[in-house]
Amino acid sequence: MTETSPAVAGEAMAADRNQVELSLPARPDLLFLVRMTAAAVASRADFGYDQVEDLRLAIDELAVTLCGDQASDGRMQLLFKWTEHAIEVVGVYESDHAERRPPDLSPSNATNELSSRILEALVDEHGVDVVGGCPRAWLRMRRRKGTRP
Amino acid sequence: MTTEVQFEMAETELRGVMVLRVEGEVDVSTAPQLRERLLSLADRGHTLVVVDLSTVSFVDSTALGVLVSGVKRLRAAGGDLRLVVTERRVLKVFEITGLTAVFAIHPTADDAVRA
Repeated sequence: MTETSPAVAGEAMAADRNQVELSLPARPDLLFLVRMTAAAVASRADFGYDQVEDLRLAIDELAVTLCGDQASDGRMQLLFKWTEHAIEVVGVYESDHAERRPPDLSPSNATNELSSRILEALVDEHGVDVVGGCPRAWLRMRRRKGTRP
Repeated sequence: MTTEVQFEMAETELRGVMVLRVEGEVDVSTAPQLRERLLSLADRGHTLVVVDLSTVSFVDSTALGVLVSGVKRLRAAGGDLRLVVTERRVLKVFEITGLTAVFAIHPTADDAVRA
């Protein structure tokens, strides 16, 4: 058994309090729930109105990148974490069916290119990769100067 | 609390030009309806179409992709697809993707028809 000092345990609890996990079917008609969660997290983190709206759009693009534009049998897992300086979101697409081809993460079509331009403009860092056979997409948005309430 | 994406479309004619008024959020779940409507208008012989987005509160890349496909098709037929955008957040999406150079964007449907 590993002992944890009260100070370390307190930091871990504080970190846990500043994160939200969302798990939902990878269905286009449920994407609004992802946007609502993003807006709620950004508001909770005291980001300004413009950044709340920017995150709402950025998370939509991240989710479309992960899941494509068709309903699937898979699920999307999203982890939102925030500090006073930044918000990070990591999304993973998981499918029960191994034979199902994972979403195309390459910027090879016009919509992916538009999505990439939007993310480039709105967030500070973003990326896609594959972890354990599951497509993953992530973004990080720092608080803009002068927007702290 | 909102439990689904709000989205509606309505067609009107203004001085002989088809105006498609869109309301709500145009995202990956609703953009296919916009695509179908634009294809339908083109099939019915409307080569000049104004898409009024003044009551749209949200667009994403899939919505932009549909509009780009629409303008390509209508221009290939000798027509055009003009936009009405008044919402700052929506205009920003066109700006950051460089699509303000592709579309004629107007403040009112009347301006778009007269252009």
